[in-house]
Amino acid sequence: MILKSLQLGWQMARANKRMIAVFYLANLFFGLLLMWPLRVMLKDFIGDSMMGNKLGGALDMDFLFEFIKHNEQASTVFFGLVFIVPAVAWLFTLFLSGGALAVFAKGEKYEPALFWGGAAKYFGRFCRLALWSLPVLAILFCLQYLESGAQRLFFGKDPYQNIIYWGGWIKAGLRALSFLLFGMILDYARIHAVLNDENKMRVSLRTGLKFISQNFLSTFGLAFLLLAVGGLALVIYNPLANSLAAPNGLIILLLFLLQQFYMLFRATLRLTLYASQLHLYRGLATEPVPATIASPEVVDMNGLAPATE
Amino acid sequence: MFKLHRPGWLTALALVIICCTRAFAQPAVFSKPLSPRIANYDIRVRLDPAKRMLHGSETLKWFNQSGDVINELQFHLYLNAFRNSRSTFMKESGGVSRGNKIDKDGWGFIEVDRIALTSGEEVTGLMEFIHPDDDNAEDKTVFRLPLAQPLPPNDSIVVNIDFTAKLPQPPFARTGAKEEYFFVGQWFPKIGVYIDNQWNCHQFHAASEFFADYGVYNVKMTVPEKNIVGATGLLVEKKMNGDGTATHFYHAEDVHDFAWTTSPEFVEFIGRGQDVDIRVLLQPDHIEQGLRHLEAAKTAVEYFQNWYGDYPFPNLTVVDPRRGAGGSGGMEYPTLITAGTAYGLPEGLRLVELVIIHEFGHNFWYHLLASNEFEESWMDEGINTYTEIQIMNDKYGPAGDALNFMGLKLNTLQLHRAQYLFNAAIDPTVRRVWDYYSNGSVFTNSYAKPGVLLTTLQNYLGKETMRNVMRAYVERWRFKHPKTRDFINVANEASGQNLNWFFEQALFSNAVLDYSVDRVFTREVKKGEGFDFDLSSSRPDSVMTKRTNHKANDSAEAAGKPKMYDSGVHVRRLGGFKFPVEVVATFANGEKVRETWDGQELWKKFRYLKPTKLVSATVDPENKIALDMNFTNNSKAVDASRLGVNKLSARLLFWMQFLLDQPEFMNLFTAFIPSF
Repeated sequence: MILKSLQLGWQMARANKRMIAVFYLANLFFGLLLMWPLRVMLKDFIGDSMMGNKLGGALDMDFLFEFIKHNEQASTVFFGLVFIVPAVAWLFTLFLSGGALAVFAKGEKYEPALFWGGAAKYFGRFCRLALWSLPVLAILFCLQYLESGAQRLFFGKDPYQNIIYWGGWIKAGLRALSFLLFGMILDYARIHAVLNDENKMRVSLRTGLKFISQNFLSTFGLAFLLLAVGGLALVIYNPLANSLAAPNGLIILLLFLLQQFYMLFRATLRLTLYASQLHLYRGLATEPVPATIASPEVVDMNGLAPATE
Repeated sequence: MFKLHRPGWLTALALVIICCTRAFAQPAVFSKPLSPRIANYDIRVRLDPAKRMLHGSETLKWFNQSGDVINELQFHLYLNAFRNSRSTFMKESGGVSRGNKIDKDGWGFIEVDRIALTSGEEVTGLMEFIHPDDDNAEDKTVFRLPLAQPLPPNDSIVVNIDFTAKLPQPPFARTGAKEEYFFVGQWFPKIGVYIDNQWNCHQFHAASEFFADYGVYNVKMTVPEKNIVGATGLLVEKKMNGDGTATHFYHAEDVHDFAWTTSPEFVEFIGRGQDVDIRVLLQPDHIEQGLRHLEAAKTAVEYFQNWYGDYPFPNLTVVDPRRGAGGSGGMEYPTLITAGTAYGLPEGLRLVELVIIHEFGHNFWYHLLASNEFEESWMDEGINTYTEIQIMNDKYGPAGDALNFMGLKLNTLQLHRAQYLFNAAIDPTVRRVWDYYSNGSVFTNSYAKPGVLLTTLQNYLGKETMRNVMRAYVERWRFKHPKTRDFINVANEASGQNLNWFFEQALFSNAVLDYSVDRVFTREVKKGEGFDFDLSSSRPDSVMTKRTNHKANDSAEAAGKPKMYDSGVHVRRLGGFKFPVEVVATFANGEKVRETWDGQELWKKFRYLKPTKLVSATVDPENKIALDMNFTNNSKAVDASRLGVNKLSARLLFWMQFLLDQPEFMNLFTAFIPSF
């Protein structure tokens, strides 16, 4: 079931290249929002210095410290951005996910009206869902403290450093697991909301939780598989990117293209996950699931009146 | 220099034989004293591990080697810095030292129970706490003892002191206890230094270290018999007392302090670096790093002896502090140093190597050359940072000598320069430790800036000359109390240059050094226009020669010869620190013109008329002047490249995109939650 869902999800994602482009461009846009102030600071600081050429090769640590020192004030503004932009980007991705799920649920190809209409239709619900799910996140986040408890129980207050060290890794693994589980719960809750046109997000959240607990191996296996593919891609990407180190304009362009190709792949993976999960849900859900969904309302931009397709 | 101690086991055997015949006698390590041996201690101390208490008695034999009649003695009681929150140390530190805090019930102290002179006369009642630095009446880290019988020059006095001390928990500011582990430093009543016709006996300050006279130490430490002991000097005897305790007798000559450690958990690693026996007392968590510690200690011994002079002591003990006892890590005592590591520390993160090389270095810059750490901390920490930079780079460099991990490479010099950049102009380098503006300034001026400025000096003088300076400094001032001016004098003599101009700026001012290439230009020399160029040849020669170049270019162009370019390089000195500097102008045909500027004026303009375009100019092209605050503005290109900006932007963009692409919610949380 997992592999079949994955296969179908991959096909559906690839059949919706425009949707991939939307997700990728959104990511690029927010990435640029974060990067651009740094680029301006870099450009100002480097000026016409030959450091501009030198940094085309390896990073110069002296430069890094000087840059931080000479941009202490601007750094504060940047760190503000680092908190704000991801929050906005997250909201926007939440918004886009409604569109993607609407398209996949209807089993159709990307249509602007369907995609953006779906995004608009479900955004409010998904925001409510996110708020409802905060306690779940808090509980899952506490999973990692199982390790702290076990450590205290078995090794006391003063364990050797190897216990602390390996315990730290276990804790990090538990934390990652809790985020993965949370993502899964949120995903299936969204799928339920879209497929059943559910307005009550408590119900969707509960259904998502129930679905995962009843089909843990399949749901977890699917999510983990896609996470692993993403990780594997990063393992392949890193040495390739590192090999593009020569201070040469063409090499830097190649590096940029490689990076963007990797991000494009990740956007595809994200959509594959949505489509695969949706397929899995349809296949495993015990309660009846509509084979398709009603089209979302779209806005008639000319008449500014609600209209349906 | 004659040494009885080689090989080490022979010495140990000899010492044991001597000691079997003379209880608490003075075995000899050196055939004749290496130091003035002014302050000599015989101490017996018993550790009560459960209560973290020390019960001790010491016999101090102090020689008046000054030309003055001494009317009083002054002593340090360092452990009283941890007595309460109102000591000068605690007020200055806010109760935090290197990120450590004393436990709620972890206060430490030292009480003098009884003081008597050789005559048997008890003088306990005469002791009086004094506060020479800050008038803090609640500070009890220094006391004076008036002498009823003044001590004439070249005479000696014997003082017997009984004391009780409690060690702080966890180890705080170098000393203390954590469970079964004890690191015992600054633990006994210790006499100050009579120098420059007065007592130099400062209170214990938050950022200060110590100052003491050399002497001979015979110390008997009674601890639980299962405990392993490490201490300054050599083990003479270990005696089982039959009551569950054992007494370890250590003897040290020509040292100015004595520290010890004990724990039943230590795992011993033994090795040898050149003629020095090395003993590493490791925590069981770190067994897999035993050889790493040994190798680092060997490296330190070898480099220091090869480069800077003989380490005359037969042994070195390296102590690995217990988990939760980091307050005792990274510290130096004569022949005994503490390191610091963590389980799983990657090889490429050379913390162990860096700390051991640094702390062993203190056996030169602090121990062999006992400068005043209260008043001139740059002379121990700073000179030591310089030697650490050089050794780390030679051994593990040239790139990534401190950090070479996951593609990230960082040198020790870069690490210290980074710290220097952020606090460069706050204070002059040389100040009393408690007179610096801030903690950042203390550490910058004690460690980073001197390390950077001496590296700059080395690049100016050349490696060999600088090593000659350091060797001469060691040779002349070993077992003495050198001051900043003494170092400068040696540097001047050994280098054969008057370097006062450098040291005045580097040590006694807060001037910063920053050169920049402000402007570069290159332009084709056009055909001349105007009055001179329109004249007939009847014009007087004197007028015509003023335009020789232009005329030459015009005629060259006419004759099909290469064009001429008028190019310029404007260099500015942005800081107050004046330092001679090289400027290199690079031309399109590959030609490099190297200029020298003494840096005395605020700016200097260089002008070139060449048949080729100027491409770029660089001031201090090899980055020899590590003190320069900004290497980035040291160069300018006529046609600037954006390669670096583009590459960094691409890298940054990718990591931002990657961060933002984490599954929903995770980007909000994962990035900002500490891993462990």
